[in-house]
Amino acid sequence: MALHTLMFGWEYPPLHSGGLGVACQGLVRGLVQAGVHITLVLPQAGVEGEENVEVLSPELCSILRVRSHLRPYETPERYAARLQGSPASATEELYGWDLGDAVESFASLSVELTKHTNPDVIHCHDWMTFEAGIRASRHHHVPIVMHIHATEFDRTDFHPNEWIAQHERNGLLLADKVIAVSNYTKRLLVAHYGIPEHKIAVVHNAHDPCLCSHTQIVSQRGVRRPPIVLFLGRLTIQKNPWQFLEVAHRVHQLRPDVQFVMAGDGPMLSELIERAIELGLHDCVVFTGKIQHDEVHALYRLASCFVMPSLSEPFGLVALEAIAHGTPVVLSKQSGASEVLTHCFKVDFWDTEKMSDCILTILRDPPLAEQLRSEAPRILKRLTWQTQATRVHALYESLL
Amino acid sequence: MAPLVSLYFQVHQPYRLRDLRITDIGRGDPDYFDHEKNRAVFRKVAEKCYLPTNQLLLELLTNYPDFSIAYSLSGIFLDQCEEFGLDVLDSFRALAATGKVEFLAETSSHSLSYLKSLEEFCEQVQEHVERIGQLFGKTPHIFRNTELIYCNELAEVARLLGFRGILAEGADHLLRGRSPNRPYVPPAFSLPEEWKRTIAEHRPHRAVSKRMHVLLKNYRLSDDIAFRFSDKSWVCFPLNAETFSDWIASCEGHSVNLFLDYETFGEHQWADTGIFDFLRALPKLWQEHGVRAVTPSQVIDLWNGPDDTFDAHTFLSWADTERDLSAWQGNRIQQAALDTLYSLERAVKEQGDTQLLKAWRRLQTSDHFYYMCTKWWNDGDVHKYFSPYDSPYEAYRRFSHALCDLRTRLRSPRATDGQARLRQSDA
Repeated sequence: MALHTLMFGWEYPPLHSGGLGVACQGLVRGLVQAGVHITLVLPQAGVEGEENVEVLSPELCSILRVRSHLRPYETPERYAARLQGSPASATEELYGWDLGDAVESFASLSVELTKHTNPDVIHCHDWMTFEAGIRASRHHHVPIVMHIHATEFDRTDFHPNEWIAQHERNGLLLADKVIAVSNYTKRLLVAHYGIPEHKIAVVHNAHDPCLCSHTQIVSQRGVRRPPIVLFLGRLTIQKNPWQFLEVAHRVHQLRPDVQFVMAGDGPMLSELIERAIELGLHDCVVFTGKIQHDEVHALYRLASCFVMPSLSEPFGLVALEAIAHGTPVVLSKQSGASEVLTHCFKVDFWDTEKMSDCILTILRDPPLAEQLRSEAPRILKRLTWQTQATRVHALYESLL
Repeated sequence: MAPLVSLYFQVHQPYRLRDLRITDIGRGDPDYFDHEKNRAVFRKVAEKCYLPTNQLLLELLTNYPDFSIAYSLSGIFLDQCEEFGLDVLDSFRALAATGKVEFLAETSSHSLSYLKSLEEFCEQVQEHVERIGQLFGKTPHIFRNTELIYCNELAEVARLLGFRGILAEGADHLLRGRSPNRPYVPPAFSLPEEWKRTIAEHRPHRAVSKRMHVLLKNYRLSDDIAFRFSDKSWVCFPLNAETFSDWIASCEGHSVNLFLDYETFGEHQWADTGIFDFLRALPKLWQEHGVRAVTPSQVIDLWNGPDDTFDAHTFLSWADTERDLSAWQGNRIQQAALDTLYSLERAVKEQGDTQLLKAWRRLQTSDHFYYMCTKWWNDGDVHKYFSPYDSPYEAYRRFSHALCDLRTRLRSPRATDGQARLRQSDA
């Protein structure tokens, strides 16, 4: 009999804003291939049908649309308020007490909806689904696995909202096993949440080749365009876009021909635009705002260099996507991706000078760029969702 | 009859590059090297390896008449001795004074010059031979190329430079079942006239050598000490001097050639593995077995067997399991770095600036290219990799900046292919 997992997700393509949804989908597909039967519970309606996966979208839409306010850094002002940290009032102001209500109703409705599913194991992704997972685990008397894609510490430059961090901590302590997406995240869970090391397994995220399979071969003959240095991510403090501008500023001083593209949306957009003007980069930085998949692929392919300067990045799937498109990568050492990527430059997130130096070296030396383009993608052959799902499957087995 | 043993040690330390930045380029001869780090590494290895091993070997050479050894000290190592460790240099001088130590010739910069420029190669060999003469009062008659990189052609070049012997790896695929424990001869052939002229111009010896012998490393017995000595998963662990001496004594052939990195003693194998006690015990046991430890020159002197050819059409080295050149020129960044470096040769030499020439030569040290190696990188097995830098790309970044700066110091930079490649991007 196939092993049955009751999984609680939060976001899922195409309704997603970050890596959590992509990773969740990749893992689900990998597990299905590994012969695991999955019942997936998602808070949004309108999820595309996934083959061999039972997708349950409880009648939560109205509540869960409200829940979208959960997303951190909705506006810079709110973000600033959080940084200054006035725990009690900030929580109320930021999330409102309906956050607790929302989590509570998602949990009870989900459990009600799945009470006859008869799973072997519960698997939930990030803190918002913990409560539902814990109740389901108690109801079915089966073990619970909690998968951490990001913590409150990552999202807030280590100025966590205490209510959320406490919620994360309480959940994690109750888990039978915790999956961290990197050793970086594992260390963080041990240091900041006091989770025992032996309870945490590391399963790195993987790359789904379907995401960039439609490679177009475009003739570059006679085409002369300025080199592009690309940033792609939500414009929030965690992704460190401010640093990207500082780096761009340094690169610009030596190579005024270089264009910088900041792809993505987020609460820091307006202050970043102001900063770019302040630095005299108005002619060479392009802010794309939110962009579609096709545009993302095109940008990766056009870019001479992709930069991921994140402050604290549990994994950083964009780095895998960049190398899948053959783009040379410079990434923050404070990331999970830096544990699995080898053919790239790794720099401390705060080291503006070195980051710009690596970019300039890639732009200057074609043999280096060529080698990074050709060698880096090899890792993707090993790092697939099939192999990572096998690890998760083995972890389930160990709990039964 | 028991064979001879020839113990030869390679002594070398590279000058590691500092964290150069693009903004340092063209500022007027910046220093490319990390002096603090180089000093620290040199002193650490001096205390752990050079000084105690030299002291021990001095005792052994004094006490055992049938015990001799050979060294190849790279010019880069000698530079560092003068900069960071005159005590180390003195201890090698004391060893030389015993008259039982042979010094071998190599390229002064521990370089890959043979692969790129015959003229530069010959100049470096000449410089090294002269320096050994000045420092130790000895003239090297045996040549060993960087990392035992070897081929037939090189044996002929070395013969024309006046050497009577050359070292090489005893690679199975070239021996084809034959023993490494005897001298071989390279196949005879003739080099182009132009080559001969270049070689003659830089010949450190008065005449070409009539005969040439190749001494092959017995890699099994050498690696038993160098790599496996402290390997607890090895079936022969722990290796004691008695067992090892029995193995040597029971070897067939003329001489067992043990070629080792000197850092094996105290640095690769720490003192607490018992490596020094092991070394200390060998001469006495060898004496009991009738095994004489001689120098490479003596191995050839004492050989009167028939000629047999060691035929190396392609390059051979002692690096990694591949034993080829892939450790230094296996990927694009290594090739680009090497090509660009040697494309500057003419311009550097025409300038007649000794500081510039010195900087250019220090960039030739093979270690710089070894650090850019990505052979095992795809397997995620980074542990096999030994480098002072974070990654091969960091090694390349520093090196590339140094090269770019070096080019700005040239009065008349000649735009060759390699130069053009590094000079400006595709912009």
